[in-house]
Amino acid sequence: MSILINKNTKVLVLGITGKSGRLQTEITKRYGTNIVAGVTPGKGGKEVEGVPVYDFVKEAVNNHEINAAISFVPPPYAKDSCIEVIENNIKLLVLTTEQIPEHDVVEIIKYAENKGTRILGPGSAGLISPGKCKLGVHPPNMYKEGHVGVVSKSGALSYEVGKTLTENGIGQSTVVAIGGGPYWGLTQLNIIKLFQEDDETKIIVLLGEIGGTMEEETARFIKKEVDKPVISLIVGISAPKGKSLGHAGAIIEGDFGTAKSKINALREAGAYIAKNHMDIVEQIKKIEGK
Amino acid sequence: MKLYEFQGKEIFKKYGIPVQSGFLINIKDKGKNLTPPLVLKSQVLVGGRGKVGGIKIWDGSTDVSKIINDLFALTIQGEKVNAILALEKVDILREIYFSITFNRDKSTPVLIVGTSGGMDIEESARLNKDKIHFVEIDPFLGILEYQIRFIVKKLNISNYLEFKNIIKAAYKIFKEYEATLVEINPLAITPGGFVAIDAKVNLDDQSRFRHEELFNKLREEKEFIQGKKEVHAPKLKEDTITYVPLSGDIGVISDGAGTGLFTLDLINEYGGKVANFCEMGGITNSEAMLKSLKMVASDQSVKSILVVLIGGFNRMDDMAEGIVKFKKELSKDIPIFVRMCGTKEEIGKELMKKANIPVYDSLNVAVEKAVKKAMEN
Repeated sequence: MSILINKNTKVLVLGITGKSGRLQTEITKRYGTNIVAGVTPGKGGKEVEGVPVYDFVKEAVNNHEINAAISFVPPPYAKDSCIEVIENNIKLLVLTTEQIPEHDVVEIIKYAENKGTRILGPGSAGLISPGKCKLGVHPPNMYKEGHVGVVSKSGALSYEVGKTLTENGIGQSTVVAIGGGPYWGLTQLNIIKLFQEDDETKIIVLLGEIGGTMEEETARFIKKEVDKPVISLIVGISAPKGKSLGHAGAIIEGDFGTAKSKINALREAGAYIAKNHMDIVEQIKKIEGK
Repeated sequence: MKLYEFQGKEIFKKYGIPVQSGFLINIKDKGKNLTPPLVLKSQVLVGGRGKVGGIKIWDGSTDVSKIINDLFALTIQGEKVNAILALEKVDILREIYFSITFNRDKSTPVLIVGTSGGMDIEESARLNKDKIHFVEIDPFLGILEYQIRFIVKKLNISNYLEFKNIIKAAYKIFKEYEATLVEINPLAITPGGFVAIDAKVNLDDQSRFRHEELFNKLREEKEFIQGKKEVHAPKLKEDTITYVPLSGDIGVISDGAGTGLFTLDLINEYGGKVANFCEMGGITNSEAMLKSLKMVASDQSVKSILVVLIGGFNRMDDMAEGIVKFKKELSKDIPIFVRMCGTKEEIGKELMKKANIPVYDSLNVAVEKAVKKAMEN
């Protein structure tokens, strides 16, 4: 098994006719993901990479079996499109869009929670279960099938670590990027809970970064509920205080959100704190007795 | 966008939150024909002005022009005082802290009240947890009656209806202006009822497309006060670059915040010092790449440039195009080290090869080379 997606995942692409939607549909389809339909208002009846395009989610759902969606819809229309997905009972939505107005984000997350749809994002690079399914923008050649579950805030950092693991012969069950924040649908904690329950995942890698209090909360959960080995890398140790370094979530204010506080919490929860990406590899090899 | 106190109070007035009557004193007119007593408050966007003498009371016994000149001479946390808000003095019986903002960890609006207001709310929140109360608000339901009753009880407020109207009005502002913060600190209880002594309203730049007129009006007001165009203009749609100046000699560009932070850590590990850091954000194209390189290279202390690219959304063909263009336009010789992999990397690497710019696949190698070069030069 893997988490959230597998060989039976049937995907709807929102904003399929845009530049990113089109390119990612091509790459994702080539990877073997079953993309069954796309939606762009006003473009119904067209095709992208052989995928039929509809005006409404409802039309797509009526004509196809769909159990996951990915959105490339621009910020002004993101909320509308997300609510449409949730209303049509699709239970997993990867929301790649960044810079959605905060009031919209909060409403999207709340609405999804009320209706039982899992949202990965906003600003998420999505997830990949190597060899089975890719629902996101992860570069496919950086991953291989295996038993390490990776969860990251940053998309690029999850590619970086995926690439390093694969180059060193270590495969992954699922690699998940939850988004750079400061708002999240699915959290590190939600993903780690799924990894803990997943038979295929033997080792969990948690890639965190400075800012917010999510890692501290995740650490409390790990301490109580997780018995699989957890290896964590926290980035931003050398970042200057009080400066936003890109991710809206990654800003240190006061004593909260420092790398030190996160590292202490995770270490106390029994996680191994890796010095860098190569140290993750070494630690996995040690655990696996290689 | 952060609003000045006087801008926030104009909104308060419109929504029925009581404020003191008053007027703005511009640096040019210096305020003529004033009658005491007046509270003179320097208008700055940073917090903590009271602690550094940015607020003065004029009771009529001294020369008001001296007070005004002193205030205009102030620079508060790097921000020059260019306007003063003159307000009628009110008798304060009690002060309350009041704000509506987002609880980001829970993705929900939250109403925060404190039994005492004042300057050091962050500090007192840490020390007196029982004096601060949080009420989470459902964005679809708004503030409910029982939540208001709860706050009124916790704060021990006698005038229920008046307070309820203030809460409702503040939440309406929060929603209608798509604010990220509506703060009244302090909200005073006076013999005549509640008065918002201060106003802090922050708007969400990301919602600007729905409030163009408002944003333009507020920006024009700010520019008039500051006597110049906004330095930190809101990000344009075609550009999501974050630029952070630091103090070393290596310029760093990344196409992801997480890898950017990681790269800074690695440079640190290799003994290098970062001069500045550019993260391209969500919109990555050849123009953004070129612009980032120019920003980084404009710093005279930069001795080597490290570009760390790992493309998901980001296309390496676009990135290569930007880098090649930069190299052609570059007048001085700054060595560039590029790590490139991910989406469309074959085309990207080909373009780089043609332009004779070395590309690395390993992040460690690229970091090591960039650090070494900076140390040599």
